[in-house]
Amino acid sequence: MNEVMKQSISDNIDTITKRWVEQMKDNSSERFLDLMPASVVETTSREFTTLMTSNLSHREKVDKERLDEFTEKIIHFGWSIKFINRAIDTFSAVVYELFFETGVLTNSNLRQGMDIFSSWINPLRESIIEEYATKWEQTDSLQKIALQELSASLIPVFEKISVMPLVGTIDTERAKLIMENLLEGVVKQRAEVVLLDITGVPVVDTMVAHHIIQAADAVRLVGAKCMLVGIRPEIAQTIVTLGINLTDFSTTSTLRRGMQEALQMTGRTIVEEE
Amino acid sequence: MKMRIPILKLKDTLIVSIQVELDDQTALQFQEDLLDQLHKTSARGVVIDLTPIDFIDSFIAKVLGDVIHMTSLMGAKVVITGIQPSVAITLIELGIRLENVKTALDLENGLEKLTRELEA
Amino acid sequence: MEHGSSIEINTEWDIVAARQLGRNEAKETGFGTVDQARITTAISELARNIYLYAGKGVIKIEPVRAGQRAGLIITASDEGPGITDLQKVMEDGFTTSGGLGAGMPGVKRLMDDFRVETEVGIGTTITATKWLH
Repeated sequence: MNEVMKQSISDNIDTITKRWVEQMKDNSSERFLDLMPASVVETTSREFTTLMTSNLSHREKVDKERLDEFTEKIIHFGWSIKFINRAIDTFSAVVYELFFETGVLTNSNLRQGMDIFSSWINPLRESIIEEYATKWEQTDSLQKIALQELSASLIPVFEKISVMPLVGTIDTERAKLIMENLLEGVVKQRAEVVLLDITGVPVVDTMVAHHIIQAADAVRLVGAKCMLVGIRPEIAQTIVTLGINLTDFSTTSTLRRGMQEALQMTGRTIVEEE
Repeated sequence: MKMRIPILKLKDTLIVSIQVELDDQTALQFQEDLLDQLHKTSARGVVIDLTPIDFIDSFIAKVLGDVIHMTSLMGAKVVITGIQPSVAITLIELGIRLENVKTALDLENGLEKLTRELEA
Repeated sequence: MEHGSSIEINTEWDIVAARQLGRNEAKETGFGTVDQARITTAISELARNIYLYAGKGVIKIEPVRAGQRAGLIITASDEGPGITDLQKVMEDGFTTSGGLGAGMPGVKRLMDDFRVETEVGIGTTITATKWLH
């Protein structure tokens, strides 16, 4: 009976694909089907239906390579897991309907047909979702690495003075990275004063403040001085409201004023030319 | 296997470069030796260079802190130099802040800092 | 487990041996200098605790693999008196030996996972894991 089903599907693959697309469009809020060019929708849908039928003749064996390729593609297109689930449901419904129309399924063999049907669709659904999850995790960790590479470099501005501009939210993992870059940089650049510029940090809560204080402490241990600059009014407010103690620090509102102080600390001033 | 950490005298400063991994006995011996030398030479300043040291645990940190405290009780100033980034991070994460400790990037900076401190 | 090593802690010298072993294992696993220092320090703290409070015990250092992550597990076990007040021991600054009281909470901060199993009169086993990022 598997073979009959398989034959029937491959005979009607065009109809299945067409109906599938229509039904997906009808009850879908995903933008994929509306936004993508018709040709892409066409090939992707075809690939999807082909993939869905690939394991019908020899059950339980899903074509790994094709699955791999396809999953990567749909992640790229931004299919959500919900969308994939519905795609599979819709596909089953379309095929089920078609089997009745073509007489592959009748009332008498319904039970046997349903068995084959479920042992065919379910493992497929599992493999697709599993593959999707794995791929997504990979993408996620790649993005994390990319973000880490973006963040926190120490810039030697003058002799003995370096600046680290911090941009974006600081979580524990990033804080560790910032600390390492900061200290390695201080030692390498032989900085005596480092300015930590938090102008670009949207929120300074107790945790972020804690990380900043730790970083400044560590900077002191390696033999330099850390200044916190770029403290916006709202940040100053939260710091005081939360009762965070930054009194051990020199802090200034702007990088410019911080730089002037840093120059003073290292025994220099900016002089205007006559 | 007992090691002694050499303590050098340069004018009125004692210079210590810790080159080996400190075990507990060596650390305690060093504490004793340094205080002895301070007493004998009446040096006014001490620079302890930790550049080759790649880790400090809470015990060694405590000995160091004690040494610094005792030294200042005897009227001398201490500058610690060359703490490696990895060591600084580990100390901070352990919760050891070594407050009131003067530090410098390397021995040279440390000697300069000490001279300034002693002049002040 | 690929390989791993363990060392008995009986004397102060074994603390030094344990952390040297730890540093080598950390290097071999591919940890950077900062993590090497974290792992070495954690081992030193754990080994010292065994020496100070239980007299003797074992430090085990083993590479682990979980899915795509690799790391190092340190297990410190002894048959000492056990810890009566675990909550107190995990507080910063609490010490019964005149130390800095940084050991236990410090190790927890240095490592990624940290677990203590202890029973008074039976002994203590501490497991701490560091993952490669």
